[in-house]
Amino acid sequence: MGGTGREAPDHGMSLVVDHISKRFGTILALDDATFTVEPGRIFGLLGANGAGKTTSMRIVLDILRPDSGTVTWEGRPNTALPRRTWGYLPEERGLYLRMRVAEVLRFFASLYGVSSADASGEVDAWLERFRIADYLNRKVEELSKGNQQKIQFIASILHDPQVLIMDEPFSGLDPVNVQLLKEAFLAMRDRGKTLIFSTHQMETVEELCESIAILDRGRVVVSGAVRDVKRAMGRQVVRLAVDGDGTGWVEQIPGVQLTRRGEDYLELHVASGSDPEEVLRAALARGDRVTRFEIADPSLEEIFIEHVGRRAEEPERHLAEVATAPDTGAQDR
Amino acid sequence: MSGLFPNAWYIARREYLVRVRSRAFVIMTAILALVGLGLALAPVGFRMLGADRPQRLGVVISAADPPPRTLGLLGGGLNPPSAAGQADGGTPRSANYELVPVSDPIAARRDVQDGRLNGLLTIGRSSSGDLAFDYFGDSSPTSRSLAAVQAASQQLAISDRLTRAGVRDPSAIFTPVGFRVEPLDPNAGRRDTAASVAAYLLATVLVVLTFMAIMTYGNWVAGSVAEEKSSRVMELLITAASPRQLLAGKVIGTCAAGLTQYLAILGAALVGVILSGPLSRAIVGGSGASSPFAGVTIPVLIVFGLFFLGGFVLYAAVYAALGSMVSRQEDVQQMVGPMTLVGVVGYFAAFTALSTPDSGWVHVLSFVPFFAPYFMPLRLVLSTVTPLEVVFSALLLVAGIVIVHSLAARIYSAGVLLYGQRPGIRAVWRAARVRR
Repeated sequence: MGGTGREAPDHGMSLVVDHISKRFGTILALDDATFTVEPGRIFGLLGANGAGKTTSMRIVLDILRPDSGTVTWEGRPNTALPRRTWGYLPEERGLYLRMRVAEVLRFFASLYGVSSADASGEVDAWLERFRIADYLNRKVEELSKGNQQKIQFIASILHDPQVLIMDEPFSGLDPVNVQLLKEAFLAMRDRGKTLIFSTHQMETVEELCESIAILDRGRVVVSGAVRDVKRAMGRQVVRLAVDGDGTGWVEQIPGVQLTRRGEDYLELHVASGSDPEEVLRAALARGDRVTRFEIADPSLEEIFIEHVGRRAEEPERHLAEVATAPDTGAQDR
Repeated sequence: MSGLFPNAWYIARREYLVRVRSRAFVIMTAILALVGLGLALAPVGFRMLGADRPQRLGVVISAADPPPRTLGLLGGGLNPPSAAGQADGGTPRSANYELVPVSDPIAARRDVQDGRLNGLLTIGRSSSGDLAFDYFGDSSPTSRSLAAVQAASQQLAISDRLTRAGVRDPSAIFTPVGFRVEPLDPNAGRRDTAASVAAYLLATVLVVLTFMAIMTYGNWVAGSVAEEKSSRVMELLITAASPRQLLAGKVIGTCAAGLTQYLAILGAALVGVILSGPLSRAIVGGSGASSPFAGVTIPVLIVFGLFFLGGFVLYAAVYAALGSMVSRQEDVQQMVGPMTLVGVVGYFAAFTALSTPDSGWVHVLSFVPFFAPYFMPLRLVLSTVTPLEVVFSALLLVAGIVIVHSLAARIYSAGVLLYGQRPGIRAVWRAARVRR
């Protein structure tokens, strides 16, 4: 999904998170975080648990105030924007369990100033899209977790927000529902909406996001268009499969490093300034039969590990520790 | 800053509907309405059960030379003529006695044992010549009838001594004397004794109603906020509406549900009161006892209504803020403890004030927002209050509500996002963001 040659972003119209810091007791949840989300794009906020993703989102939504820094959207500070600018899907799923689906959705729509008449057409369309049209008059508690999550998604977009902010939207969903939600994301993007979502599933980011920011311990370690981020890594990945024996020759090539021994292929990093095709030429020169040769950008997974020092799934610190840490009542996800 | 409405109204409507539709609410309201009806009808019930029926007392005159009109004098002592001064204790007004001359003491003792007679009084003479009495019946020391019979017997004996000493018509001695009370507070003089009793009862009822509303419905508010927080629907809410809207909506919705329950209970009680008049006439004859509703006037209703609502809104905001600070519903009780204490202190102070409604501290507390809901209606009913005082106290209450609500909204905005063990008030305050 990398860059498709769009014109340079107009920062005046973007969502700009500018030098935000937020401290909870002894924990610095956000440390001078800065990133820009271009309008009409899908933006991924990556980071391990506790990296500051949720705190960033809450600050953008203005339900939390930063200690310093500003957030602007289309040039206006977020504190001056109406609530209906945003659609928010929190990470923690919660709805009024004893109310009916239709009632809950009408209620949230009404809080955003949408009449039940206007809401009901939208509700029907979304329930249809999510294949849960029969559940309109069921109580929420009768729905599965996955279906409740879909209701929550609908509740967050009925007022036609300009920016959708989704905290770990895919967690807890089965593959079929993940696919439905991805399609919904793309549909919203096609309607001109801006989407920001957090995750630690790199494949989803590769699939959906045009730009990203990677957070680590409250700091933005890298951000920008996915293509630029990959280019900035200054290397390329080569996957190579040959018939010959031994692999020692590979690392003899200047600027080439063997990073993974796959089942039937090798994965190599080629530093910038070296030509990946040098590897192919060397293999052919040895007289080996080359069955696979592939030049690729480094994966986001690799980029993440490079910047953060570990995989996204490995928690940096436990939530419980944060929650019970003395002198803080806050936790940050 | 966004306005309170219409979002507060949507939140209130949801809160109200979910509350009144819940099974717990319906069952509780039905039970309480039955209790209200039962309490209102209780006086009639007591009469039906015989608490007010005339006591039948068998009298055996075994004295060789009984005083003239023995039964008449005894009956006069037991059933004193209604007159001023009877509320000073003494014989209970409602008790009356029927004297049954008995010729067969053995059979009469059996009648007492079988409950056909309430007691058997045997009048004889001792060797000193005085009348002597033997009583057979309920001998519990707290028995009102025993005390009454003893007092009447004393009268009879004194009358007999006077007769033997040569006094004519000794019964005139026992005619009640005139006894007029001039109250210290000239305004209290407006009321006769019965009206004072009714006013006291009314003030008690008002204090209890206020206390129960604050405690019960305050806890509803705290529980409901904590439930939204623990079920994590809060994050959706706080993005959709401002803390002030959430707080106001929650308080209004719960208050409306509470009032619905109160009106159901009071309606049932009112039906009971209205029914008790005809019922008691039909069953036992005579009018009902003094009703606490006798003192209800339009000003009392208006002042009580205003201070009741104001007090509820004031306390409910604090309860909402406290509810927003807990992570789990189980912790709600612990968190609201201090506030419950304030409510209970006000309640007990108000009960003390019932007997000293004119004292200075009652005067002062009737202007303090957290106590005015108890004390101002109480003073209005029991003492004297100028309209200016009522307005001033009401203004202070409104100011208190405004201040407490904005503080509560601040705590709420931070509290609802804090999940942890037990955030203290200081942690919450530090996290509280600038009001929007």
